[in-house]
Amino acid sequence: MNTSAIVQTQNLTKKHGSINSVNKVDLYVQEGEIYGFLGPNGAGKTTTLKMLLGLIKPSEGTINIFGESLNKRRSTILQRTGSLIESPSYYGHLTGLENMRVMQRLRNVPDKNIHEVLRIVRLENQKDKKAEQYSLGMKQRLGIAMALLAFPKLLILDEPTNGLDPAGIGEIRELIKSLPARYGITVLLSSHMLSEIDQIATSVGIISDGNLLFQGSMESLRKKGRSAIRLKTGDNTKAEELLLTQGYSLTKGGSRLEFDNLADREVAEINRLLVEHYIPVTRIEEQKKSLEDIFLELTGKERSL
Amino acid sequence: MMKQSISAELLKLRHSRIGLVLVVLPSISLMIGCANFYLNQGVLENGWYSLWTQVCIFYGEFFLPILIAICCSYVCRLEHLNRNWNMILTSPVSVASVFFAKLLVVSILILFTQAFFLGLYWLAGTLFSLPGHFPVETIGWSVRGWYATLSISALQLAISLRIRSFATPIGICLCAVFIGLGMYTANLGIFFPFSLLTIGMSALNQDQLTNIQNILFWVANLFFIIIFASISIRRLKKKDILSS
Repeated sequence: MNTSAIVQTQNLTKKHGSINSVNKVDLYVQEGEIYGFLGPNGAGKTTTLKMLLGLIKPSEGTINIFGESLNKRRSTILQRTGSLIESPSYYGHLTGLENMRVMQRLRNVPDKNIHEVLRIVRLENQKDKKAEQYSLGMKQRLGIAMALLAFPKLLILDEPTNGLDPAGIGEIRELIKSLPARYGITVLLSSHMLSEIDQIATSVGIISDGNLLFQGSMESLRKKGRSAIRLKTGDNTKAEELLLTQGYSLTKGGSRLEFDNLADREVAEINRLLVEHYIPVTRIEEQKKSLEDIFLELTGKERSL
Repeated sequence: MMKQSISAELLKLRHSRIGLVLVVLPSISLMIGCANFYLNQGVLENGWYSLWTQVCIFYGEFFLPILIAICCSYVCRLEHLNRNWNMILTSPVSVASVFFAKLLVVSILILFTQAFFLGLYWLAGTLFSLPGHFPVETIGWSVRGWYATLSISALQLAISLRIRSFATPIGICLCAVFIGLGMYTANLGIFFPFSLLTIGMSALNQDQLTNIQNILFWVANLFFIIIFASISIRRLKKKDILSS
């Protein structure tokens, strides 16, 4: 087992009746990463995260966090894990500060942590207000503050930017991005928004209908989005023949000739060849697959993200 | 770990209005009992002890069990709201300590109520200018009654942990109160938590318990506490935490 694996699951499955809402998921989160867990609504993100925290019991599979089995070392693991699952938890009749104090007592952390996290999420000025009077965004900040309180080694955030306004989203995004470097926190966060994961995560896992379809670095996902060059000429059939004899492999023929992974030099070469053979080149276009396209390709549906 | 859970639990009681209920319900039951005593002074000739029977019928038989049910519903409702179970059960404290912290907090509240009720009883007796001294046995009865409330609390907590509604467990408690009365009159009181309270408080019968009865009383309560606690803890450990 890799020692730098903070979270590792094997064959993790949750059955609801005959349906597997999470199906044989092998999650792998390395130390220092911001792992984005991406999937459409109802794909099994929250269920998976709840299993990692022991809130839901897996039907099958194993969970190791910090290299230790969740079944055997629940308490030690939770000691070093902070989380915010679904919507933020709070006691409405208590003030923000008193809510933090409840968490402080449960986790046995010093007073200075409270003030530091309240400062980080910018709730210091509202800390004496009752939590039930908080706006949705403030509740979300309070939830993040509570998750951060013990400055855990692993932070699990379920849709952390829910309910925040655009300015708040940007702010929380910057905060999350700074956590690994500033406090040595590994972050596992879920989102149904590709753009958000794209901006925050260093690694990504894509889940749909309970199946983990892709897992790897953000870089490797982007590489799947390699660009294609499309050509239009005065005589496509002739051009196709010519280029094939010259050893170029087309991915698509017909009204538009398409090539994958062409270097700039090769594009120029193709153009020169065609012109020299008196085939007029009318278009050279670059077609870039967006992350969105890749995501839709992977999940196989044109569903709203 | 237990200490962490208890101090967190106590903190949650701040700004809550549960204290008001703890004061009002015993006061009402005492007033009804006193009115009854006042109107039937002719038949009730046993001074302080007669007053005890009158106030205790209402307090020990009805209002106290209901009060326990309210307290249990309240401490569980705190977690049912806003998905707070997510927060509590991802804290590094054991599930058992979560349950026992709640049981302990309820028992502290009830102990306070017992003391308050006893104070009211003394006040009422003094105002009626009852002959003789304040009967010290009533202190023992209140403590023994408090011990019996622990098994009711454990049962009500088990119900309230399971049922998210605030009122339903209280309704169940009300039914159990009547079953308890039946069991008590059928001399099967030792087998039912709610009847144990009647025995403990000496609400209906002020005769001293025999040694055997006394031991049975303590053992039966302990048995109920252990049973209901282990059922709840097991359930919290095994069941998925629902969110809604």
